[in-house]
Amino acid sequence: MTRRAEAGLIVAACLLAAIGVAIVEFTQGNWLDAQVALTFLAFAAAFGGVYLAVIRWAPGASSLLLPLAAFLTAIGFIEIYRLDSHLAALQRWWLLVAAAAGALVLWALRDAGVSVLRRYRYVILAIGIGLLLLPLLPDSWLVYGATVNGSRLWVRIDIPGASRVMSFQPGEVAKVLITIFLASYLAERAEAMSVVSRKIGPFEIPEPRHLGPVVVAAVAAFLVLVYQRDLGASLLLFGIFVGMLYIATGRSFYVVTGAALVVIAGWTALVSFDHVQRRIEAWLDPFGHFSEAGYQTVQGLFAMGSGALTGSGIGLGRPDLIPAAATDFIFAAVAEEMGLAGSLAVLTGFSLLIAVGFGIALRSRERFRKYLAGGLMLVIGLQAFIIIAGVLRLMPITGLTLPFMSYGGSSLVTNMAIIALLLRVSHEERT
Amino acid sequence: MNTSLRTTTYALLGAFALLIVSVIYIQAIKGPDFRDDPRNVRAIAWLTGRQRGPIISADGVVLAISTPSPSDPKLYERLYPEGSLYAHTVGFTSVLFGSRGVEQTRAADLISNRDATISGVLNGLLGGDTKPRGVRLTLRDALQTVARDALGEQRGSVIAIDPTTGAILAMVTYPSFDPNTLIGPDAGAAGEALERDEDDPLRDRAIRQTYPPGSVFKVITAASGLDTGLVSPSSEFADPVYLRLPGSESTISNYDGRVCDNGTSVTLKFAFVKSCNTVFAKLGMNLGADTLGGTAEAFGFNSEVPFEFDVLTSFFPLRGTMQDDPPATAQSAIGQRDDRATPLLMVLTVAAVANNGIMMAPYLVSEIFTSEGVVEATTEPVAWRRAMSPASAGVLADMMEQAVISGTGTRAAVPGVRIAGKTGTAETEGSAPHAWFIGFGPLGAESGDPQIAIVVIVESGGAFGESATGGTVAAPIAQRVLAAFFGVTDTR
Repeated sequence: MTRRAEAGLIVAACLLAAIGVAIVEFTQGNWLDAQVALTFLAFAAAFGGVYLAVIRWAPGASSLLLPLAAFLTAIGFIEIYRLDSHLAALQRWWLLVAAAAGALVLWALRDAGVSVLRRYRYVILAIGIGLLLLPLLPDSWLVYGATVNGSRLWVRIDIPGASRVMSFQPGEVAKVLITIFLASYLAERAEAMSVVSRKIGPFEIPEPRHLGPVVVAAVAAFLVLVYQRDLGASLLLFGIFVGMLYIATGRSFYVVTGAALVVIAGWTALVSFDHVQRRIEAWLDPFGHFSEAGYQTVQGLFAMGSGALTGSGIGLGRPDLIPAAATDFIFAAVAEEMGLAGSLAVLTGFSLLIAVGFGIALRSRERFRKYLAGGLMLVIGLQAFIIIAGVLRLMPITGLTLPFMSYGGSSLVTNMAIIALLLRVSHEERT
Repeated sequence: MNTSLRTTTYALLGAFALLIVSVIYIQAIKGPDFRDDPRNVRAIAWLTGRQRGPIISADGVVLAISTPSPSDPKLYERLYPEGSLYAHTVGFTSVLFGSRGVEQTRAADLISNRDATISGVLNGLLGGDTKPRGVRLTLRDALQTVARDALGEQRGSVIAIDPTTGAILAMVTYPSFDPNTLIGPDAGAAGEALERDEDDPLRDRAIRQTYPPGSVFKVITAASGLDTGLVSPSSEFADPVYLRLPGSESTISNYDGRVCDNGTSVTLKFAFVKSCNTVFAKLGMNLGADTLGGTAEAFGFNSEVPFEFDVLTSFFPLRGTMQDDPPATAQSAIGQRDDRATPLLMVLTVAAVANNGIMMAPYLVSEIFTSEGVVEATTEPVAWRRAMSPASAGVLADMMEQAVISGTGTRAAVPGVRIAGKTGTAETEGSAPHAWFIGFGPLGAESGDPQIAIVVIVESGGAFGESATGGTVAAPIAQRVLAAFFGVTDTR
């Protein structure tokens, strides 16, 4: 695909967002107003900006990534705007910040390339773990952790002077930093780790000392679960660990062990935490727990079922009835108002993004870039899968944002940074 | 190395394929179950929670209105302030029991046009009004109330109509129900109780029930005789106690089992006034099944009545089925045997007599108005069919007036107003007779045309039981409604 076609698709995504906002305004009984223009301008500035950064600093990059990201962001934004126009106004600012972050990544790596990240891998790991632990800071500090919906994922900063509070989810950024570290670590150790020393039954077992990373991964994920009470983040983190180990070594042993550990950890969590228990019960029988833990899941099913094939129409459904519709349940909100047509478009968008991202990894000639691209795509793909599967009741619901689509600054910034890194990796394969 | 990467890619894409299958299952296959779940507020919101336009009576009384819900600012609540009085005409919109009445037939006007359909968007962009419209009915609340009170707790119905336009002025049915109970939190239990009720309060007896018309059918038999020129009011008929029906053992006698007049001969007019079966049975046989059937069909029997709602078709034995059966023709001529009529068709029948033989199409909605109160559409009266010649209608009107002055319909008389009418006492198997009255007025008014036609039917004799007649049970109800219409307070 040419750069010109890419630009055309980006403009189409910007128009999509603006038209969506216009339809919402109309169904609320308003006329076309500044919101439509502001939305178009914000999208054009954000994605146009990254597009220009690509032309300037990574001209060989894949032209498929940005249009897909823009499309998913636009669909999500329309639904956020429909649910809460104030949130959407904030999200517009976050979109600009995210685009700036993406452009910054492209600029920072313009000469040295992604390989420069390998040099700082332990610094990156330290920052990643630090960010992961940040929400555990006591409440009395200037920068402190906060518990939202039973999970301690947030960090708030009281800005002195102004009575404003800034809050963000450091875990979003941490998972990218940890992925970068893993890619770099595995690029060096993979061969050693894939050496088979003995067999137990059908499984080929590597040297015990190479098991270290897996155990570390399990322990880290479990600790996150214990202290932050966040099922989704720990599952995602663990999935990234196991997935990258498998990509690097090709040993299904890691996947099997990982799955076993998830089951054990999950079981332990089930018996030790009330809130996990309630979630499992609500998953198995949401209608029986309608007035309590099953409420959100059931409202999601009601929304999707009511949406049927073509949806209620943007602005004409009742996605506001779903708790956390703009964040965790944005998929159900889109499915209600845009119908099966809309939900399939979203799933297709993610599938294409995964195909493009892994395609970049497959074509990479160098281990680190291969693992980095694969790992980053795993972050987006797994996260999207875990939250959508939860909404569709294929697994218990976990609090995760849907990449590009959910409301949330940290999430949007992180995912744009991931796209920028993928763009850079694809550029380096062309040069 | 690439192998494991590929496997991972396929695994992840496979996982998304699973999501696609699952979302198709939820939205396309299981969707209706989730949509219709009683706990899903959306169904309620979509059906009943949207703002709907008001429905008002001809005299401006609010019959249905939407008010913002106190519990959910995005929802509206529908209120029917007059309760059971307009249950069958205004209707209701209920999640569990569907939509009925004008609430159903005029839903397109009553619901906001503000939607995301292409026409809705275009309408909005072109500056069209997207707010819900209001509906003004032809029913007059004052008359409706009198009709309900006059009928009281007797199963049956009362319809009043403007004979020159077809506008329905009052339409009540007993038993009725309170539509508010079908949309509230206990709608399920209330609705099931109504469905179980043996008196079937959900049925609109005015249009969804047929009865043997009995003697009110004599209006049609007389019209047939007058129109064909076979008889005039002064035509002489024999006056036996029993009329022997040829080719059978059965006979037809008059209501009281006596002769009609003097036992020798009687005029058609006298027989009409006293409602003598022997004369009209004989007239029916003289006319023959085909001629009588033709007139019945001219009056709308065996035809679908054009109306706001589906009207049960009234029945007169089809042509050809009674050709060689004079006894059947005789019984059909006095509104018995297989004759069946809705109250609506009988009021249209008498309205046609009042309107020079032209039967107007009945209508219930007079205006559609915008949220600003500007009238957007008005119903234009249309003639449905010519039932008889103007001359025959004039003669019939005169005979009917005499029936109210000195015949069976004296209890429908309104002092100071010339009223025409015909009673009916329809024998029914297994129950007391149904009491009928049809009439109209005023005759010979300076303004010209009669202003109101009325039908009253009281099932199974009402409060009078076996001793009931159209004259004793139905005529007084008509009198109260007619008196109220003409503003007469002293009816003695």
